[in-house]
Amino acid sequence: MISTSDFIFLLRGVPATLSISFIAFIIGFAIGIPLTMVRLYTPRIYASMANAYVKVFLGVPVLVIMLFFYFGLGKYLPPFRSPYMSAIAALGFRSGAYQSQIFKSAMNSVPRDQILAARSLGLTKTQIIRYIILPQAFIVALPGLGSEIALLIKDSAYSFILGVLDITMHADILRRAHKLFLAPYLAGALLYIMMTFPIANYLDRLGSRLKDRYGLR
Amino acid sequence: MSGEIILEGKGLWKRYGSLDVLKGVDISVRKGETKVIIGPSGSGKSTLLRILGLLEPPTKGEIYFRGENVYAGNLNLNRIRAKIGFVFQEPSLFRHLTALGNVKLGLKHVLKMKDEEAEKKAMEMLRLVHLEEWADHYPAQLSGGQQQRVGIARALAMDPDIILFDEPTASLDIELTWEVIEVMEELARKGITMLVVTHEIPFAKEVADEICFMEEGLIKECAPPEIMLRNPKTPRARSFLKRLLGAYGGI
Repeated sequence: MISTSDFIFLLRGVPATLSISFIAFIIGFAIGIPLTMVRLYTPRIYASMANAYVKVFLGVPVLVIMLFFYFGLGKYLPPFRSPYMSAIAALGFRSGAYQSQIFKSAMNSVPRDQILAARSLGLTKTQIIRYIILPQAFIVALPGLGSEIALLIKDSAYSFILGVLDITMHADILRRAHKLFLAPYLAGALLYIMMTFPIANYLDRLGSRLKDRYGLR
Repeated sequence: MSGEIILEGKGLWKRYGSLDVLKGVDISVRKGETKVIIGPSGSGKSTLLRILGLLEPPTKGEIYFRGENVYAGNLNLNRIRAKIGFVFQEPSLFRHLTALGNVKLGLKHVLKMKDEEAEKKAMEMLRLVHLEEWADHYPAQLSGGQQQRVGIARALAMDPDIILFDEPTASLDIELTWEVIEVMEELARKGITMLVVTHEIPFAKEVADEICFMEEGLIKECAPPEIMLRNPKTPRARSFLKRLLGAYGGI
């Protein structure tokens, strides 16, 4: 089996894995919200451009996006010469597409009656989105966002290909150093589960609890 | 009734796809009047109300609010909507806000009241519908009847010139219906101008100034309750009312 010191060595990959995933999540959020607004509330030409963005990032493997940023854009744009930055950018841009899907269906889940009621009070479209739709959509979106964070943590492992020193890379170093084939990856897998499960589970439960409290569908 | 006409629809036509739901409806409601619309389902009552409430535009025809043609020129529709209250068939409270929060929302963000002022006014309105003790409850914690009464308070809080009610008791059981009808009767007696789609005949009999019978996208006949309920002119209104009144054991 794997020794304690090896396990501690593996832990050195945690900061890279976590920071890549969380920064990518924040970028994805910053892209996903406005992208959803454009898809739902702007003239068709802009909406279809935003839809195209989503289709592209949903349809391409994230590894390909990462390689594109690192080897492709990195040739012209210095920031992407860093494997770490390329990994964050690739995951962040794709997360924008995924989060937009999550927010779109959450915003569409707010019943039309409430929107008509808000309109009858004389609220503007912007006010209706801000005060009626978004607060409820965030609650409905929580479980989906939990899965998205878990997905980012798992997919950050692709950054290993670019040479980022994440959990997967450390596990691979152990394999090479000790000629151990199963243990490093199993220990790495355990670390991933310890990070993904609590977050996804917490947001899932929080979402269900709030949905019940407010009687949301 | 001789007061100022608050809301008037002229030649209202609504087409959804190839279906004509309204086929040239003329209707007007005067200040202080309570007008009731009855008619079979699918006759276009809800559509008419949504169009009069400026929640969707008519395909053809004009709407006048206090003499102003609302779709001519570029009037601020939101400002007019705020003066036309609307109570929906299904409870349409904002689920993430308390009863008080529901009533406050329009006061704060449309009428731009300060928080304290809005809160005071909202509490006053909840008192009017006998729900001040439920102010801090979320819609999910309220019965259907209570939710509808909060909906009435929410509409009333805006000091509208007229309130439109779209079958506000249709999704309630009989006991809850009474508590909502009672509140509506109080409002009618206070002189609030109301246009009500309902089949609660006792309500119509008690407070309506006029009952209109609607069918197939047209208003076929309007008359005071004593005439409409006893001796309507059109045969269809007669047979519809006969069945409706039968449900109440005759009136």
